[in-house]
Amino acid sequence: MKITKIELINICKVKNERTILKNVNLKIIGGKRYIFFGPSGSGKTTLLRLINRMDDPTSGEILIDGHNITELPILNLRKKIGLVFQIPVIFNGTVKDNLMAPYDIGAINSPPNDAELKHVLKLSGLNNNFLIRKASELSIGEKQRVNIARMLLNKPDVLLLDEPTSALDNSSATRLLESIMELSKVNGLTIIMVTHQLEYARLLGGQIIDIQDGAIINEQL
Amino acid sequence: MEQFNYSLININSFDLLIGLGLILIVVGLSRWQNLMLEGELIVGAIRTLIQLIAIGYVLKYIFSLDNWYLILSFIALMIIVASITVTRRQKKQTKELPYLIGIAITAGSGVSILVATQIILQIEPWYEPYYLIPLAGMVIGNSMNAATLAVERIDSEIKNKRTEIEAYLALGATSKKAASSCMKAAMRAAMIPTINSMMVVGIVSLPGMMTGQILSGTSPIIAVKYQIIIMYMIAFSVAVSSLILTTLRFRRYFTRNHQLIEEAFE
Ligand SMILES: Nc1ncnc2c1ncn2[C@@H]1O[C@H](COP(=O)(O)OP(=O)(O)OP(=O)(O)O)[C@@H](O)[C@H]1O
Ligand SMILES: [Mg+2]
Repeated sequence: MKITKIELINICKVKNERTILKNVNLKIIGGKRYIFFGPSGSGKTTLLRLINRMDDPTSGEILIDGHNITELPILNLRKKIGLVFQIPVIFNGTVKDNLMAPYDIGAINSPPNDAELKHVLKLSGLNNNFLIRKASELSIGEKQRVNIARMLLNKPDVLLLDEPTSALDNSSATRLLESIMELSKVNGLTIIMVTHQLEYARLLGGQIIDIQDGAIINEQL
Repeated sequence: MEQFNYSLININSFDLLIGLGLILIVVGLSRWQNLMLEGELIVGAIRTLIQLIAIGYVLKYIFSLDNWYLILSFIALMIIVASITVTRRQKKQTKELPYLIGIAITAGSGVSILVATQIILQIEPWYEPYYLIPLAGMVIGNSMNAATLAVERIDSEIKNKRTEIEAYLALGATSKKAASSCMKAAMRAAMIPTINSMMVVGIVSLPGMMTGQILSGTSPIIAVKYQIIIMYMIAFSVAVSSLILTTLRFRRYFTRNHQLIEEAFE
């Protein structure tokens, strides 16, 4: 069953006695695009990490289609809600080796065939020649795309993207955003993307959620 | 035990002093070459003398016991001291660490000592300290060194691979899967010294225990067979101890919900 609604209710997060998120309330509707927009240190990454339970909030609750997130099987939740980190993480070996990771760790049951690998690469904006490339030698933007492709093999409903454009120049950022748009429009994925650049927020379209000092100050369309 | 036509030569106090003379020559050497090791050499030599004579009397007393629970208590004491020693060597000493090490060493060395004394040697009585204590000492000592390497390595691997571990978790891996390469590295680090010593034993080095047996009159063929069993016991104990220890230790970095525990990294 596809995720159709994520609700964050009175979320607070305290780390090392510092309040990082204050009373965040937010409703995410399946299939739409959202942008967490705000200055560095405002709590965007912290908030994103709560939605796939990399971390848990100090107080408040998160409901996925009405069910408390803590009651859902966590490994399945993380497959359904895929988080791509701010700094791409590359495993040893080729791009293909990297794409086999979801199978290697048991997140998916059968190894993806070549057609599936090519499909996720294409969705992420990379061509087939990348499969045999050594992953550590790729540019940061290419690594970011490999991270997205790897996550797509889990067939997530929701994609959480933490500043995927931060290390990219203007034209590669635009191309990446177009790929993300496509994922949203053609494949119906819910997208939550973090950025602190307004132009990229506008380019992606969707609802901008303004975060400052750990609080949502304004939601605009 | 089969004896040669050989009577053991005792060493008296005067002989020990001659031995000490060798150390004094080294002290002179250190001074001459400006190595600044004189103090440490003298302290080391004196500690060797005192510690070994003390343990000699302790062992003499224990060997005279016909009391299985005192003998087992002595072995338990060895394990406790080993656990504390390993813990002290770690940068990150958590409260539960000595217990984890104790469990790991007890399991690994316990099984190999049981197999060696009860199935292979079939000692009589089953707690015969002349066999049990030296075998236990060898196995526990080696497991202690392996435990040190295992804990050091699992801690450093998990810290260095934090982002990679998180990426695996985000893909839907269990914490055990996410940390599996770290656990493998720790187990390998713990086992490699033992494997290396199995490779070169008898060629590059004569093990101390075997040398001791030969010096005290045992046929080299018998001494060698004992050494073979001991090497296998050590390999088993080191492997089992480091497997158990890495499995227990990695848990402190994760919650039950496969989340990293931030505080564990501080
Ligand atoms: N373990 C921690 N202990 C204390 N404070 C922390 C901890 N982790 C993060 N913070 C603080 O929480 C705040 C929010 O961090 P977060 O990473 O969510 O910001 P961000 O909005 O993603 O910033 P950026 O745009 O730079 O990525 C920052 O001020 C950060 O210093
Ligand atoms: Mg961030």
